[in-house]
Order: sequence, then C-alpha cells, then structure tokens
Amino acid sequence: MASYIVDSLLHPSELVALVQFLISGASSQKKIKSDRSTKTRCYEFLNMTSRSFAAVIQNLDDELRDVVCLFYLILRGLDTIEDDMTLSIEKKDPLLRDFYNIIRVEGWRFEESGDQEKDRQLLVEFYVVIDEFLKLDEKYQKVITDICKKVGNGMADYATDAALNTYGIISLGDFDKYCHYVAGLVGIGLTNLFIASGLEAEIATRDEAIANSMGLFLQKVNITRDYLEDISHGRCYWPKAIWSQYASNLYELKNPGNETEAINCLSAMLLNTLQHVTQNLTYMNSLRNQSIFEFCAIPQVMAIATLALLFRNYDVYRKVVKIRKGQTLALIKQSKNIYQVAAVFRYYTQQIMKKNDARDPNFLKISIVCGQIEQWCQTNLSQKDLQQYGYSQDPQITLFVIFLLLASTAWLVTTFNINVINMF
Amino acid sequence: MGDRYLIIGGDGFLGRWIIELLLRRDEPNIFVFDLRSHFDDVKYFIGDLTKYEDINNAIKRGRISIVINTVSPLTGLGDDIYWKVNVDGTKNVIRACIENGVQKLIHTSSASVLFDGVSDLVNADETTPYPEKYADAYNETKAKAEALVLEANGKNNLLTCALRPSAIFGPKDRTLIPGIIAVVKRGQTKFQIGDNSNLFDYSYVENVAYAHILAADKMAPDNKIGGEAFLITNGAPVPFWDFLRFTWAQFKHYPPFVIKMPRSVGLTLASLAEWSSYLQGKEPGFTRFRVKFSCANRYFNITKAKTILGYEPIIGLEEGLRRSCQYFIEELNQGRLDFK
Repeated sequence: MASYIVDSLLHPSELVALVQFLISGASSQKKIKSDRSTKTRCYEFLNMTSRSFAAVIQNLDDELRDVVCLFYLILRGLDTIEDDMTLSIEKKDPLLRDFYNIIRVEGWRFEESGDQEKDRQLLVEFYVVIDEFLKLDEKYQKVITDICKKVGNGMADYATDAALNTYGIISLGDFDKYCHYVAGLVGIGLTNLFIASGLEAEIATRDEAIANSMGLFLQKVNITRDYLEDISHGRCYWPKAIWSQYASNLYELKNPGNETEAINCLSAMLLNTLQHVTQNLTYMNSLRNQSIFEFCAIPQVMAIATLALLFRNYDVYRKVVKIRKGQTLALIKQSKNIYQVAAVFRYYTQQIMKKNDARDPNFLKISIVCGQIEQWCQTNLSQKDLQQYGYSQDPQITLFVIFLLLASTAWLVTTFNINVINMF
Repeated sequence: MGDRYLIIGGDGFLGRWIIELLLRRDEPNIFVFDLRSHFDDVKYFIGDLTKYEDINNAIKRGRISIVINTVSPLTGLGDDIYWKVNVDGTKNVIRACIENGVQKLIHTSSASVLFDGVSDLVNADETTPYPEKYADAYNETKAKAEALVLEANGKNNLLTCALRPSAIFGPKDRTLIPGIIAVVKRGQTKFQIGDNSNLFDYSYVENVAYAHILAADKMAPDNKIGGEAFLITNGAPVPFWDFLRFTWAQFKHYPPFVIKMPRSVGLTLASLAEWSSYLQGKEPGFTRFRVKFSCANRYFNITKAKTILGYEPIIGLEEGLRRSCQYFIEELNQGRLDFK
C-alpha cells in the first residue's frame, strides 16, 4: 500500500481515494453469504478468479448478482479449457463446442487441466457452478446457454484454425471477429441478461453492434497492452493489417532501432480501439439502473485511462504498463453517472491529443476520432452538466510536497548560511 | 432532365467546383455569371451582380431553372463591398429569380452567420440563433443575405435554401491553405497559443460543391428543404493546431520544438507585436484577432444536412487536405507560387 501512495503523491484526488480505500477497504468487500454451500462456493470462486470483476459483480442488484456471477464463472471455465496448452486439440475441441450442454450435466467435473492453469480448481469443482446455474430462472439460463454455445464454438474454431495458429490474425475484420468471440459476445450476453431482468429497457441497448462494441473496446486495450507478455508466450493478437505497415514481423517491433515504427504501430492499434468510444458512450447513456451502470462503466473508464497511458509510450515494448492503483480507485469513484464518465473520457481524450505527433502516419485520424468523442459529449449531454462534472489527474504539487520543499529549503539555507556569507 | 443551371460566381473557387461536378454528370445546360472568365467549357454571362439588368438578362436569356449563387467577395475589400455584393446583389438575384419564374435558388451562405466575433461555437446547429450583434460586416451581410433568400421561399413558386459551409479549403484555395503555409514562411510554427483542446470544423471544397448539387436535385415543393438553412462541413472537427500541423507535415515541415503559451500571454504579446508593426509601418502577422481565433471553438453539428439533404462528405478531411497540399506542392515546385 505504501508504494501505491508514493505513486500517487502528485495526484491529490488519488491520495484521497487511497485513504478512503484503506479506511473502508475491509468493509467494502462484501462477503456474500448464503445458506446454500454451493452458492457460497461460487462466490469464493468468483473472488479467486478475478478480484476486479468480483467487486463490480457483487455490487449488482440482488437478482442480477447471482446471474452475472454464474455467467462469469461459466465463461471462466471455458477460458481455462481454451488457454490450456497441455490439452490436445482432439480433447479441447469437443469440450469447447459442447460446453453449453455440459453446464446442464449435474455432477460434471474436469480434472485434466494442466497444473499451470490458475483456475483449474474451478473445473475440478464445476458441479457447484452447474448446481447453481440450474437453479436460475429459465430466462437467464436461456441467455447464458446461447452465449456459451457461441463463445465455445468460436474458441474451438480458433483453436483448430491452422492458418490462424501459423499466421495470426490477418485483416481488421478478423481482428473484430476474434474480439467478438472472446469479448463482444460477453457484452451481448450481459445486455440480454439486463433486459431479461427487466432492470433495463430494450430500446437503446437492443442494438447488438453497440453491445458488441463495449466488449471490443476492452479487449482491444488489453490486446494492445499485453503485446510483450503475449509475444513472450509465442502468441500475439495484433492484426497483420496493422503491424505489417511498420515491421516485417511482429517480434521485430520491440527490437532496438525500430522505436519509431513501434510507437507508430502502437498508435495504429489504439486508433482502431478508439473508434469504439462513441458507441460505448451511447450504450452507457442508455442505461437506467444504477448498479448496472457502474458495472458497465468501471471497466470502460479503466480502459480509456489505460489507453491514454499506452499511447505513444515505448514502455509497452519494455515492460508491463499499468495505471496506478490510486488512479484505479479514483476512477471507480468517478463512474456513478454518464456525466462523470464523460468527464473521464474527455480528460483522457485530451491527454491523447496532447501526445499526438504530426510525424505519426495516423496523426490526423487520431485528431478526428478525438474530436468525435468531444462532439458526442456536446451533442448528447447538456453543457451545464458537462461543466459541472470535472475530472483531472494532472500532476499537482500537493500542499504536503510544497511544505516539504519549503522546509528543506529553510533547512538548507540555515545549514549553509555561513558558507553562503563567506563566499562573498 | 431539362434543368438549366446558372452558377453565379461560377468562375470562382467554389463555383468552379460545382461546375466540375455538373460537367462530370454531363449536364448539357450550364451557364456561368461572373465578372470574368477563365474557362471555355461552359457558356458565360459576364456581368456585375450589383446591376439588376445584368443578372436579369442572364437568367432570362439562359432560360434558367436553377440558380446557384456562390458569390463571395474576398476579405479585406471594405465594408461597402460586402453590403453591395452580399446584400444588394442577393436582392437582385432573388428579384430576377421571381420575375423569371426560376424554380430553385440555392444560396451559398456561411457558418460565420452564427459568429459574433467573440463567442465559441460549440457544436452549433441550425437552432442556434443569429447573434444580436456582429463584429464585422462580412458575417453581418452574409446573415442578412441568407435571411432574405430564405424569406423568398414560395414566392411565385420559387424554392430557396441556404448552405452554410465552414472554412472551405481545397486545391486553388486562396485563403486557408496559403494562410497556413504563410506561418511557415514567417517562422512562427514553433508557437502554440492555448492548450489545443479547441476544435475547428473545416470543409473540403468538393464536399461543399456536392452539397449544392444535392440541394439542387432534391429540393421540391413536398419536402422540408425549401426555406431552410443547412450547415455543411466535413463532419470531422479537429483540434485547431492539429489541422495546421498536418498541413505543414505535407510540406515536410515539422517544428523542431513547440513553445506553448496560454491565451493571456498570447494576447499580451500580440498587442506588443501590433504596436511594433504599427510603429514600423508594417502589416502585423501576429495579431490579437489571430490569438483569439486560434483559441476558439468553432465546430458544428451537421445532423440536419445529413438527415434532410442526405449529405455525407464524399472526401474525408485527411484525403481532402492531401489533395489540396499536393496542388500547392506542385505549384511551388513549378515556381508558380511563393508564399512570402
């Protein structure tokens, strides 16, 4: 924790968020207790598999909470099978494709995951997830089954696609399709769950392209950020249509001497990602339920903050680039309504515009997409409200730091006073 | 079709583009009304817009059914010229259209009819009212002319509409791109006033010409185009300095570093510059007006043109700028131009 505070020293609002987190930290982590041991176990799994998602899922309204928790665990189960390099394709393929039936087989468990799989225990005890899934209202089961079938088939297609495994993702269309299977479908599934619960109206959220875009944005930010990690595992999801304009192979990008191309390629990836923003703002602007809004908005504000940090940042090719812990907490506090969220997006859009460079081949395209985000806000939200909600993470010298500087100067002056006088 | 077009100001920058688009679809009856003639592929009526007989004669003799008035005096010619050309000239056009039973009048207005010289235009649209007071005669007379045109809608079955482009640029453009290149010549590209978060809307000339053709084609008694004004831009507002920097980049000019100063500092320096230029008897390049301009928001919501006219920019902002700069690069290489 101390290091987080040091990281945020120049960002007073983050310090406030960190302190609040410290004080309320223990109590805010809701412990979902249930009289059913299977349900309690499901929430334990949720906390084990994802700390960040666990928090937002547990804040959802009562009925949706269990539904989304199970949806998440089922997808996590699929993901664990897909990721597992120790499983043969012959084993993997039918499991993935049939997973939507498996979630109805009471007592099903899977113990053949590789030891390296961090979530293998989830599959070992998967029958508890199935038990709880089968207790859900039929309308929710239907949505989850439908998405599970599509995601499973998509994953299996990719796992068995020889061309993909040899050459990677080629066109921009392929890129969107891949992201659709691993993230867009989740957005669509969640939207259908919101509508099924009756907490959200069908009108604006019905458009599948927009729900898909919510997932694509998050996935693309991750794919861009994880370049180094993925490359070191011998895979990468950057589409050839983009990287081939800057390097003859993806590995070359990170090599010394290719810095300019690497930075420009990164811009091209992020430009592709930024194109989802206005759709996502439209999606969030259509939400009515408070807990659903926060559930959707928190990952989005994290993603735009990360995107702004990645933009023209060569560290992406050297190490893991992450936003500060204090920044995360400050952003969570800023995800209560569309005006706060718009303020966050506008702030990071401006950060991007400030870093944009006329030598970058995508310079003007980036300007245009940033302009579109600002124009979306001005068109869809009232100016009065936009002015009222501000967000800034510009480094500020806090009073504390000023005090430190003054104190140390005073100390220096008094200590070296004699010397100074003697010099003249 | 049988439409007979008269393009007033058809020898000028925008007018000529409209003619190019009409020629591209093999329109047989295209006429130009202008003070001078640089082309011989269309029939010309040489005349002065401020003389009613001249314009009346052209419309009558050409048996014109569609009039497109693109006339715009260059800046810096004095307020009298603006009143004469923009207001009196437009009155002449309207009168001649009505008396000769012209079907449609498409008037080139300007997005500056919404500009009071001071206030930001943030995402302004057609519901934004005219300002109560104008800072300069150009904008005021453009607004006056536009209002007259729209009022005339329906008189003797004449249909009228006004298009309001913002910051037109393109090959052969005499204002915008040359102005941006002039900053390089003055060695002032290293300075940025403001934080560059202010957005500006621009319009590639071919898109503006295309909007005129759309209006001419689609305006009919049974739709909502007649009597209306439409903002026309490229639909891609960008930060003010980015448009300049992208243009400079086309000429391979990249400022080695950028000194950013707040608006207030810029205004103070501009005052000093204006004074020193005044004392030296030179035309100042760095003025308070330019400082304010470079820090202002000036962009528009063009939804109305999209939904009612069916307008979509056909050439994107980047492509438009590349084409424009290509023209100027060739001119410079051939020694036909010098931006000093």
